[in-house]
Amino acid sequence: MILELKKLSKSFGSIKVLKNINLKIDNNECVGIIGPNGAGKSTLFNVIAGHLKHDIGDVIYKNININNKSNEQRARFGIVQSFQKNSMFPEMTVLESIMLAISHRLNITFQLFTNLNSNIRILNEAFEIIKNIGLDKYSNSRSDALSYGLQRQLEIGIAIACSPTLLLLDEPTAGMSPLETKNIIRLIKNLSKNYTIVIVEHDMEVIYNLAHRIYVLDRGKIIFNGESEEIKNSKLVQDKYLGIENV
Amino acid sequence: MDYMEDKMKAVNYNPRLRLHLFIVLVVSALISIFFGGYFTRFFIAEIAILSIFAMSLDFLAARGGLVSLGHAMFLGIGAYSTTIFILNLGISPFIATILSLLIGCFIGLLISYFIVVLNGIFFIMVTLALGEMFHAWVFTSELLGGSDGISGIIRPDISFMGIDMNDPFIFAIYSLLWMSLIYFILSRITDSPLGRNLDALRQNHMRLSAIGGYAKVYKIIAFTISSGVASIAGSLYVQLNGFISPELTHWTVSGEGLIMIIVGGIGSISGAILGASVVYILQHELSNFISWWMLIVGLLFILVVLFMQDGLWGLIEKLRLRLLKGKNKI
Repeated sequence: MILELKKLSKSFGSIKVLKNINLKIDNNECVGIIGPNGAGKSTLFNVIAGHLKHDIGDVIYKNININNKSNEQRARFGIVQSFQKNSMFPEMTVLESIMLAISHRLNITFQLFTNLNSNIRILNEAFEIIKNIGLDKYSNSRSDALSYGLQRQLEIGIAIACSPTLLLLDEPTAGMSPLETKNIIRLIKNLSKNYTIVIVEHDMEVIYNLAHRIYVLDRGKIIFNGESEEIKNSKLVQDKYLGIENV
Repeated sequence: MDYMEDKMKAVNYNPRLRLHLFIVLVVSALISIFFGGYFTRFFIAEIAILSIFAMSLDFLAARGGLVSLGHAMFLGIGAYSTTIFILNLGISPFIATILSLLIGCFIGLLISYFIVVLNGIFFIMVTLALGEMFHAWVFTSELLGGSDGISGIIRPDISFMGIDMNDPFIFAIYSLLWMSLIYFILSRITDSPLGRNLDALRQNHMRLSAIGGYAKVYKIIAFTISSGVASIAGSLYVQLNGFISPELTHWTVSGEGLIMIIVGGIGSISGAILGASVVYILQHELSNFISWWMLIVGLLFILVVLFMQDGLWGLIEKLRLRLLKGKNKI
């Protein structure tokens, strides 16, 4: 097991956003988290990544309690997140962004007198990642000049350049055209061969396509967990979420 | 943070153009030193020292995303510590400069530990307050000569090599060497993994943290380096003039430094040297003819901010691209 959440709760003032969450994720699994808006999916992601501190419970990562670890430390442990809203380095090119992320994995970010952009080893590795995420035509384009869909691909590229052991993808297909969604599904499918992935998504087709197991969150509680077919046949999930989605 | 990020979209990074511009500027300075008279040489030394100060502000603003209105304090720390080392402790001026650099770095490190967590307008106001506190202290301190300042500061003595540092030609070359050294060090740092991370920090600190970047530590390092560089400028400034006055630590000096880097083009390093040269030459030349020269400099600054946010650097880059396009057409 790579990640375990034990009796985890989080409140914002008097509003309980996460209530007694218990969740387990195994190595090389692709786990989907679904739920209506306001169910607490992004909060759960932010708690796992360390952007938010939870109130009660434990976050166990590779059998180590990481409750007190900052988000930077968690990223260095291998928990890397891609954000719901595109979040890049706008003035950097695709290549520079990926090279920067690699510098973190190699732990050379405090080097003062070596030239990052002319490091052949990092450069080759960056090109390899850029090819994998399908941005090879855009390696010298500025991040802010890319289309929305290509920026989502770059988001994932930056995350995988850190060689994560746990990749958290927050709505990777949000706002995408059908073609772009298809590309992202193909990309994540390829990644799921090598990485443990947790994915929050509204598009059920994407989730059914990618996730081995799905957790259903409703008003901060996990109300169901199972495989795609079980989710499809669950009356509870139909009533609480899929029914609403279909309306 | 958002406020300053909006104000700081124009940050330039082009290592090749940076080096080319630097070479042009240094060659121009050398020509002026060789063929100019006493005042020209003194003037070039002053510009070189101001350029070091401008580079310190540029590094902090462009790499760390931090705009300081109190950086003249470090100019003052370098200047006053050099003065004390030379006059009170009898330490040689060159060693005094090195010690001032270390003191500047140390104080920068201490201060930055507490203030780099602040963003945008809050960071600016705290640096302004710190700078003004320092200014008020030196203005009233008997040890530091109060409002009268201190005179009698000497330059490095290398007469055993047959070189007289009191010769403005030699001191201009000496200042230019320091400026070049600082330029090369800051350029190396800018291109290094740390420099690129500092750039990324200014652009999106949340994303940087999410991939494992220690935003606070990077900012502390940027502030410390910048403080040390400003202290060197202060140390050289008192050796050039042989005199230190509290005016050097006033916040308007930091403000002028910021004007220089905006006119030159933030983040380009050699743009800071260009900005310092242009603003200082303009100030000097205009003040010879008209009493309301500040109005013209202010107007120029407003025009640059409104229409040329990449500063003169941006203009040069555009011209270069146009020339390259023209060549390709032929």
